[in-house]
Amino acid sequence: MNTPIVELKNVSKTYSTAAGDFPALKNINLTVHLGEFLGVVGKSGAGKSTLLNMINGVDELTEGEVIVTSGGKPVSVHNLTEDEKAQWRGKTMGVVYQSFQLLPMLTLVENIALVMDLAENFKPRESREKALELLRLVEIEEHADKLPSFISGGQQQRVAIARALANDPDILVADEPTGSLDSITADHVFELFSRLAAERGKTIIMVTHDMGLKSRFTRHCTLVDGELMSESHAHRKGKQ
Amino acid sequence: MSSSTRQRTPRTRLKADLQRVHDASPEAIIELRGVVKRFSNAAGEFTVLKGVDLEINRGEFVSIVGKSGSGKSTLLNMITGIDHPSDGRVIVNHNDIYTGVSESQRSKWRGKNLGIVFQFFQLLPMLTLLENVMLPMDYVDMYDFDLRPVRALELLEMVGLEKFANKLPVLVSTGQQQLAAIARAMACDPPLLIADEPTGNLDTRSADAVIKIFEQFVQQGKTIVMVTHDPSLTSRTDRNIILSDGELINETISRSLPQLRHRHMLEFTKLAQRRTFQPHETIISHDDSVNHFFMIKEGQVEVVLQKKRSQETIVSQLGKNEFFGEIELLRGGTSIANVRAGTKPVEVLMIPRDDFKRVMDESPVTVEAMGKIVQKRLEEHRMADPRSMKR
Repeated sequence: MNTPIVELKNVSKTYSTAAGDFPALKNINLTVHLGEFLGVVGKSGAGKSTLLNMINGVDELTEGEVIVTSGGKPVSVHNLTEDEKAQWRGKTMGVVYQSFQLLPMLTLVENIALVMDLAENFKPRESREKALELLRLVEIEEHADKLPSFISGGQQQRVAIARALANDPDILVADEPTGSLDSITADHVFELFSRLAAERGKTIIMVTHDMGLKSRFTRHCTLVDGELMSESHAHRKGKQ
Repeated sequence: MSSSTRQRTPRTRLKADLQRVHDASPEAIIELRGVVKRFSNAAGEFTVLKGVDLEINRGEFVSIVGKSGSGKSTLLNMITGIDHPSDGRVIVNHNDIYTGVSESQRSKWRGKNLGIVFQFFQLLPMLTLLENVMLPMDYVDMYDFDLRPVRALELLEMVGLEKFANKLPVLVSTGQQQLAAIARAMACDPPLLIADEPTGNLDTRSADAVIKIFEQFVQQGKTIVMVTHDPSLTSRTDRNIILSDGELINETISRSLPQLRHRHMLEFTKLAQRRTFQPHETIISHDDSVNHFFMIKEGQVEVVLQKKRSQETIVSQLGKNEFFGEIELLRGGTSIANVRAGTKPVEVLMIPRDDFKRVMDESPVTVEAMGKIVQKRLEEHRMADPRSMKR
């Protein structure tokens, strides 16, 4: 539990807009350990999605460094070229979003196998088998040959999580993954994340605006106006 | 696309030949014949589509509207082959897409013949916009391997996104994501684009950009079928098909009486009698009692006043999707003019007087709109024949 897997060192991100510079993240220092299920909680506009985009290298940072250690090898994410980053991300990180973005014309098992085929980790026949295994893991195997429109939103999100696991990444990042689900379905998704962290040693970083979810993470921190707060700090700032 | 993802087509080639239908309408790209769709659940069986007959011709831009639960999405699912009908036939591009066709054949056929756009864009989050657009070409193995990125970039240029080609979807706006999804739908140059609420999640400006691109496609000869609830979009399509409770409303009725409630339009659709009048044939004679409300499906009619000892005056000419007979039915009395077919045959839909009056009693908005038209026509009559002032 004490092996650092994601480290953010003095990370800042400033967007330049017509109205002037807008600091979205201010000097963030954060270490996430192997097997943690970390929640980053904050209001809309606090910088949560920007933080995830810094961790998975989707967006460029303005200052600082992000180091991700996967397979014992530390990588300074923002020193990679775009092509290197895409390859590195494909192997190291799975992403889950609020909208599930399954391809509607492909069956569930094809949706997952497609991602494996694109990364060429398995032979096509193997990829179907592996995809079925993942559907079993998220308890949705019986629907494997259905199209996404024939299953519920919660089930679609579980398929999206299975897809994020397609290339067996060490880390999952999730941006409001329960945002469009009802509370019971959201619970199932939480249980699945907890299980993936506890039983499979995945490191999961999830951002949410829902303060009520804090207790569900193994650890959580709060983002306020682009700054990372310890609990007490966040509390004080909220009272000002 | 990074080199590791570009070396293999992810699927093996499948035969995509479907059965050609010999009696398919030559102009139609989509034909639904008696399509029924029933669903069963714990509460029992219910019928979502109740025998839909529909033809959509090549090059048409068609919108489909209807209340929630009217069967719009089910209808689209019949055309795309996502779901299958309980009864009836679906013929797309002269092929029966259900009879004797396996799921995988249909999937391959769909990849080459249909572009599909949804409300939520379904771009793969881990692929750049360019890679997302290339995906369908890889999937159905169309275009030379080296041509695919070139074509994908051209498609992104067409929707104005070439600058963002190498960005991941999360870094562009929702409007731009939808434009990329449209570029992807056109990847294999399909003749037909199907869109389910394509602007449902967009602001007005982005929605306008989407429709402008659709209009370009139509100019290039593509056919577009779009489900929408946005009236500002339906006014920009060639045809507007309304579904009510699993049945199609006659388009002449919905165009002639747009203010009518859908359930009343459907009632008229079922009651309407069709009749064709030959050129110059009298439809209503002056001073006859009027027993029907008329809507013009095809052709033109002339409303004529016959003055004593002088020549007749053509007061007005009415064309497709206009109506007549309402003055007498709403105000009572006999016909104040002759109505006859123009120089070509005229096809009309006729609603019996009592049914028309009953529905009008329940539809004050339509009566009010019709009242304005009646007023305008009476003015025309007065100008043509001052004697009618007495009426």
